Amino acid sequence: MSSAVRIAREEWRQWLRSRLAVLSFAVFTILLLVTTVLTTLDVQEARHLRLHQQGQAEEAFYSQPDRHPHRMVHYGHYVFRTPPPLAMFEPGVDSVTGQSLFLEGHRQNSAMFADARAEPRAGGFGPLSPAKLYHLFLPLLIIALGHGVILREREARTLGPLLSQGVTGAHLYRGKLLALGALVGFLSLPALFSSIAATALGESLIASMMLYIANVLYLGIWAALALSVSIATRARGVALGILSAVWVLTVLVVPRVGVTSASATLPTEGKILTDMRMNDDLRKLGDGHNASDPAFAQLRTDLLAQYNVNRVEDLPVNFRGIVASKSETDLTATLNAYAEKRMKRELAQAGHLAAYGLVSPYLAVGGASRHLAGTDLETHHRFLREAETARYEFVQGLNKAHIEKLSYVDDMNRNNGEEGGRRARIDAANWQVLEEFRFTPDSANERISRATSKLTWLVLWFLVLVCFGLISARRLTP
Amino acid sequence: MTAIVVQDLRVSRGGTEVLKGISFSVDPGSVYALLGGNGAGKSTTLLTLLGFLTPDSGSASVLDNDVTQCVSRVRQQIAYLPEAATLYPHLNAYENLEYFLDLAGRKTTQLELDQALDEVGLQLESRSRHMEDYSKGMRQKVAISLAILRETPVLLLDEPTSGLDPVAIDEFNALVRNLAGLGKSILMVTHDVYGACQVANRIGLLRRGQLVGSFDAPAGERIETDRVHATFAERATA
Repeated sequence: MSSAVRIAREEWRQWLRSRLAVLSFAVFTILLLVTTVLTTLDVQEARHLRLHQQGQAEEAFYSQPDRHPHRMVHYGHYVFRTPPPLAMFEPGVDSVTGQSLFLEGHRQNSAMFADARAEPRAGGFGPLSPAKLYHLFLPLLIIALGHGVILREREARTLGPLLSQGVTGAHLYRGKLLALGALVGFLSLPALFSSIAATALGESLIASMMLYIANVLYLGIWAALALSVSIATRARGVALGILSAVWVLTVLVVPRVGVTSASATLPTEGKILTDMRMNDDLRKLGDGHNASDPAFAQLRTDLLAQYNVNRVEDLPVNFRGIVASKSETDLTATLNAYAEKRMKRELAQAGHLAAYGLVSPYLAVGGASRHLAGTDLETHHRFLREAETARYEFVQGLNKAHIEKLSYVDDMNRNNGEEGGRRARIDAANWQVLEEFRFTPDSANERISRATSKLTWLVLWFLVLVCFGLISARRLTP
Repeated sequence: MTAIVVQDLRVSRGGTEVLKGISFSVDPGSVYALLGGNGAGKSTTLLTLLGFLTPDSGSASVLDNDVTQCVSRVRQQIAYLPEAATLYPHLNAYENLEYFLDLAGRKTTQLELDQALDEVGLQLESRSRHMEDYSKGMRQKVAISLAILRETPVLLLDEPTSGLDPVAIDEFNALVRNLAGLGKSILMVTHDVYGACQVANRIGLLRRGQLVGSFDAPAGERIETDRVHATFAERATA
């Protein structure tokens, strides 16, 4: 047995014989298992529920009776973002951005049903996900167990005899790092379980493994840091003080500063002001419900000229449908311009915050984790874009039916008694313009490429800390 | 071959010269006690011999191996007992010995462990108890048994009797004399004049990094305590 393995084994024996260590171990293990199982069940339920709801929403739309096509534009439709398999480990932005959208004509609604807004169950802290547990709390267990690995040898005066009998500082370092590595490996088992379970549900193996490795690497950073501090200090109080300060700074302070700095450096206009400005722009486009709106006078003139007729009633197409379609096109272009601007600003803010990952492995692993799981802001934006595309296509599909399947005269007489209303309806078969919506995560390569810079920072942090620890260990004296 | 040779050794720690040109030697199978007050440079001498401190000048060697050039070979020859060695409190005597011996690359049998513990007089019923329940004297016995099992020719003892009760001190001194009788070369640093006189073949008085006196035991006799005490009081603590 190599000296490193022997030293590591002894370290584990010491932990297993320490009541405090065993208790901490047990508490964290139970917490990890419970959180992993509960989040897995939650996400699985959400996946099934949202897929079911998506199917139901489509069924409800298709089963509508014959109606006026514009009524169906306002009847609307729901689309749901099904959580990707790795959301069982990293729910990411899902809980704050909302996961469903109501699609209707002339409007881009915000995503709804964000757990963070709807659930008071965690007293304002939100549900504890495995990722949150790994990123926020497991470093504390590593600090508690790791800060004393070398200091205890000093306190017990065993460092002198060990070093004097030919065990070098590097041997000791490797052994202690191996012990902490085994601890990290043990603590990472639930993450491995989540990755394997996600792969079984169709997730890419490489993305699952990268997510697992990113988290192992993050805990490895804390292990290497705890070990380095244990070598460099001579009192437990000092070591614990330094490690606690690093935890507070990197996990609590830097992210807060990053968020504040991102908001201050790249401010957003605010929803009310943006909505007011956008509504001003939309008003200039005219009211798509009113074919007589002056905004569509040119359209009327052009159409009459195109079909060489004098009245809209003589057009071979329904002018009201044409107006609705034109209005939808113009309005969507404006809405999209605002949406793209907002998303661009959100991404810039996220990028600004992510840059703090250089000094906070917590931010780096959080970012990498969300990218790899497919629960990041970019994925949410893609959901919004795909939902908007779906909205535009079904609304324009209905507008097309409005133009082609309903005459202008019948349309204008739609409120003339029961018969008028009946004649203004089109066949329910036209509701098939709505296409099935199934949101899927980006490809594994795409997600890994987004996570690469953050993973690189984690690797660098780990290597720097290991090098520092090894250099310090070589100078280790009793 | 002389076990330990220290020649005009000068060592600084934290910018202060702690050893100011000391010279002494330890013969095979003998006990040399380096006697001095706090801050005299006793522990610095041991740490230099173990290769943890680099001399400014002068030389030190263990069994002809220079301590700065052949650190690992020197350490293979030495068993070192720090002051107040507690070993691993969560392990029993056997487990402690096995761990240290494993890391030293020495495989032992249960019989060998028991023989070494018999030799130092550790009671059989104590051996399987965790060392957190041991008295200091018992811990010193286990530490000495480790030195026996490692079969190193040289022992460095740092204040080995500090904190021991009189009975334990007597037992320990007898053990050290016994080990010297078996051919071990022992360098112990201490401020215990009585203890040093009980076991040492030679005593060096260390004061502020300099050897200020030396006493040799006449053949078959012990060094006279009163004479050393008087000189110690006069020179070493002046």
